[in-house]
Amino acid sequence: MLIDTNLAAYRIAAEPYYRPVGEEVAVFEAAWRHRLPVMLKGPTGCGKTRFVEYMAWRLGRPLITVAAHEDMTAADLAGRFLLTPEGTVWHDGPLTQAVRFGAICYLDEIVEARQDTTVVIHPLTDARRMLPLEKRNELVPAHADFQLVISYNPGYQSAVKDLKESTKQRFVAIDFDYPAPVLEAEIVMREAGADLALARTLVAIAACSRNLKGQGLDEGASTRMLIHAGRLAAGGVPLATAVNAGIVLPMTDDADVRRALGEAIAACLI
Amino acid sequence: MSAVLDIAAPLDRLARLLAGRDGLAGVFADARRRLSMRLDEDALEDWGAGGLALLEVNAGPGCLLAYWCASLELAAHGGLGEMARQAAAICREAGGKAAAATLDAFVRIEPRLAGARERDIWWRALLTLARAAPDCVELVAERAEKLVRSGLVAAFADFIEAGLKAAGRDRAKRRAFFTLEDRLAQAMVARFSAGPGFAELEAELKTVLTALWGTMPNLQPLPFAGRETGPRVNIAGPVIRLPEVVPGIAGEASRRLYLAAAIHASAHLFFGNPRFPVRKFKPVQIALAGLVEDARIEALAMRRYPGLARLWAPYHDATPEDGPTVAALLRRVARGLFDPTYADPDALVGKAQALFASVGDLHDPALSLGIGTRLANDIGQRRLRFDARGHVAEPAYRDDGLGLWDFSDIDPEATDAVELMVEAARIERREAEDGREDEPSREPAGRARPRPAGGEGAVVATYPEWDAAAGVERPDWTTVREMMPVAGDARILQRALDRAAPVRARIARLVKAAKVGRAVRLKRQAEGHDLDIDAAIEAAIARHAGEVPDLRVFRSTALIQRDLAVLVLVDVSQSTREKLADGSSVLDVEKLAVAMLAEALDKLGDDFALLAFASNGRGDVRATLVKGFSETYDAEAAARLAGLSPGLSTRLGTALRHAGAVIAPVRSFRKLILVLTDGEPSDIDAAAGDLVADARRVVLQLRAQGVDTFGVTLDPAGVGSGPTIFGQANAMPVRRVEDLPMRLSELYFRLARR
Repeated sequence: MLIDTNLAAYRIAAEPYYRPVGEEVAVFEAAWRHRLPVMLKGPTGCGKTRFVEYMAWRLGRPLITVAAHEDMTAADLAGRFLLTPEGTVWHDGPLTQAVRFGAICYLDEIVEARQDTTVVIHPLTDARRMLPLEKRNELVPAHADFQLVISYNPGYQSAVKDLKESTKQRFVAIDFDYPAPVLEAEIVMREAGADLALARTLVAIAACSRNLKGQGLDEGASTRMLIHAGRLAAGGVPLATAVNAGIVLPMTDDADVRRALGEAIAACLI
Repeated sequence: MSAVLDIAAPLDRLARLLAGRDGLAGVFADARRRLSMRLDEDALEDWGAGGLALLEVNAGPGCLLAYWCASLELAAHGGLGEMARQAAAICREAGGKAAAATLDAFVRIEPRLAGARERDIWWRALLTLARAAPDCVELVAERAEKLVRSGLVAAFADFIEAGLKAAGRDRAKRRAFFTLEDRLAQAMVARFSAGPGFAELEAELKTVLTALWGTMPNLQPLPFAGRETGPRVNIAGPVIRLPEVVPGIAGEASRRLYLAAAIHASAHLFFGNPRFPVRKFKPVQIALAGLVEDARIEALAMRRYPGLARLWAPYHDATPEDGPTVAALLRRVARGLFDPTYADPDALVGKAQALFASVGDLHDPALSLGIGTRLANDIGQRRLRFDARGHVAEPAYRDDGLGLWDFSDIDPEATDAVELMVEAARIERREAEDGREDEPSREPAGRARPRPAGGEGAVVATYPEWDAAAGVERPDWTTVREMMPVAGDARILQRALDRAAPVRARIARLVKAAKVGRAVRLKRQAEGHDLDIDAAIEAAIARHAGEVPDLRVFRSTALIQRDLAVLVLVDVSQSTREKLADGSSVLDVEKLAVAMLAEALDKLGDDFALLAFASNGRGDVRATLVKGFSETYDAEAAARLAGLSPGLSTRLGTALRHAGAVIAPVRSFRKLILVLTDGEPSDIDAAAGDLVADARRVVLQLRAQGVDTFGVTLDPAGVGSGPTIFGQANAMPVRRVEDLPMRLSELYFRLARR
């Protein structure tokens, strides 16, 4: 089997747009110098994934992303034997690939995976920096450029779904939140091709919805949502319709909350 | 009539007159006996006099019976004799049947009438009707609920008058009007069936204000004062009090007005609510400073939320044609300040606009006082008369403005005039300034009065009790009485829930995570919808190696099934009356915790019951079933939960036995009893140690029957007997009472996980 040791498919060619909001770039680079595992915390749609892409580009490393889900097993990460006409052949999983060839491995929404799955990353994230593949009876030492990044949305945090303490304490954490209004307007302008007034209105609407977190909404409107609504509006859809389609309807099915949010949005619109 | 000349007390006379009449005499005696327990002697005689009055107009047995029924219903409110005399007057005009119908109707609508004045309006309106159109009295009485709204009894009188006028002498037309078949009648009813009011809109207003300002507002209803001018919002400290209803408007218009008013009031709070000392200011200065302050905060609010201009603008409709009064001029000033493009012929409006526009920083509240007093001086120089008593803040969505003023150091010279104004606004300042809720001293309108707790309660069971010292179980030692739950004000509980929104949100997430019906994937199944790749590979390898492969190579999904019954046993003994730092009692926190858990259980669909207990010796262990297993957790159940009151002692063992008996017949895979108690078992006739031993024994017996018992004990010192009773693993001592709601729900989710 042909293995691309350069991981060309996982390299990021063009610079992704990312607007730093704090010291996250410096922290990540410092962690990268020591290859410390990094945990990105923050609500959905606030730029965690974009940040990892940007850092992978900046550091010139390939980025292997795995979206965690509740059926994910350790084999899905590490790899498994597959049957071919020649017999049983070992097939590296995404994590093993990253470990062998020195990529940044990004495990998105790690809490979604079952806790017994996440422990496979333990030997990789301490001084050992190695991945044991017990099925192959192999110890894969991590490539010098291998780095593990996980994202984790504290909004889902609960007694039922949470990282083990032993997993949590292996990471350097960077906390993400929605950018300050001025920055967020800048991001919406840039990403949605909106003008400043539109971007500001959308950001004001987002602030209203974020005020309702825990009071009818599980989570406020994300920057990503604003960009979507902004694209709709910039593309000629009337603003009220764009906001409804891009922000209100996806967020809640509760008619009362929709109505109240609709009033708050009406107050934001010029 | 000889009875009229009789000088005996009315009751005895009445008894004598009724003596010969079968049926009536018995009912009378019964009503008299029951009322005598609740009324003093004078009131009882007055009641008898009322009966005589009805008898004198020959009202007939139906009317007398209606009177007695109404008396029993309304005994607590007094004025029984007056009620009968009014009915007698109607009987004279329209006959006994009509009078009986009005009495029946009065019972139904009485909760909506505030005070003797409103009751009088109702009776007088009916009497007018009886005189002019006796045939219509019954029709109106039957429809009383539709026609009489809280605070709008005057509209009822208007309705009667309008009907009589519109129909003239045309009987058929009159009947059509009062049976509400007439279009005009329908339109009138639609108009004064105002609403939605505060109760309907409270939740939406809260959400909108939270979205706009980021903090949960403290909204409270302002009881309708029954004045002619429209009611106004009042701000008291951090509390925004909105009128219960705004008469005369309905539907979307009412909703918009409430929104406009609530957002305006909350903008006051958000953009700094200064308290100007009243000192020597004249009413006209106060009014104008308030006007400018309104404009200031609205300008700031519209800077942030430009769409608010659309919300408020429709109410600014003053024009120079409105008349020459100061009130009309103030409305135009308000409009001019709100809308800089508005041009008014009066120089005062222009001056106000110019002064306001020249202000650099709108964030300084002092400017309102400055501009306000300058404008007030202009009015003074023009010798226009300002009617302090009649002053009402305009437009309708604005608050009464009194929240801006600090009345603590009023200059005695200026007092009279200012007080007039304050009185004109009729603000009830009984409200604590620190925003604490006032006690629900009056019952919410339109709702049935809570039944008094059922006195002694019915004996439902006797249970043995364990005598640890003697090592015997004393049979039938304790008696459990089932008490009638009292409905409290669920809104107080709802407000506590609103304040605890973050905890609620966390619990809601737990609910979501534990939700029944979530599919789990099963691996290595004998059948399923796709291949379990790992199992398939292992099977293939085994076959190649010549071993017997495991043929369970499929994956399938299954729903998580929960089959769980929970009984929450709440301790309401005297010790739960203890007040916490924030003014709420331990029982309040217990109720909040139970309400949150109940919400969660309701969403999960787990079968549950709520049982409260207290005891007063072994012969009187009181159990109150707030919610049974078969009942749904609805507003009524929440009201019953809110209605629990503290008292007596904690005989835990007996309560547990009773809880065991309640949960025993429920069919479910797993049964849980969660005990919520604030202290040690105790009672007046037993040693605490014995009761602990007894409770421990019950816990073990229940476990033998397959019922798991868990104790959540409020135990600040961590030295309580919770672990002794429930076992180390099944006791959860809570150190801080405030943590209770989260702990209780957490415990539940820990236990209920499979």
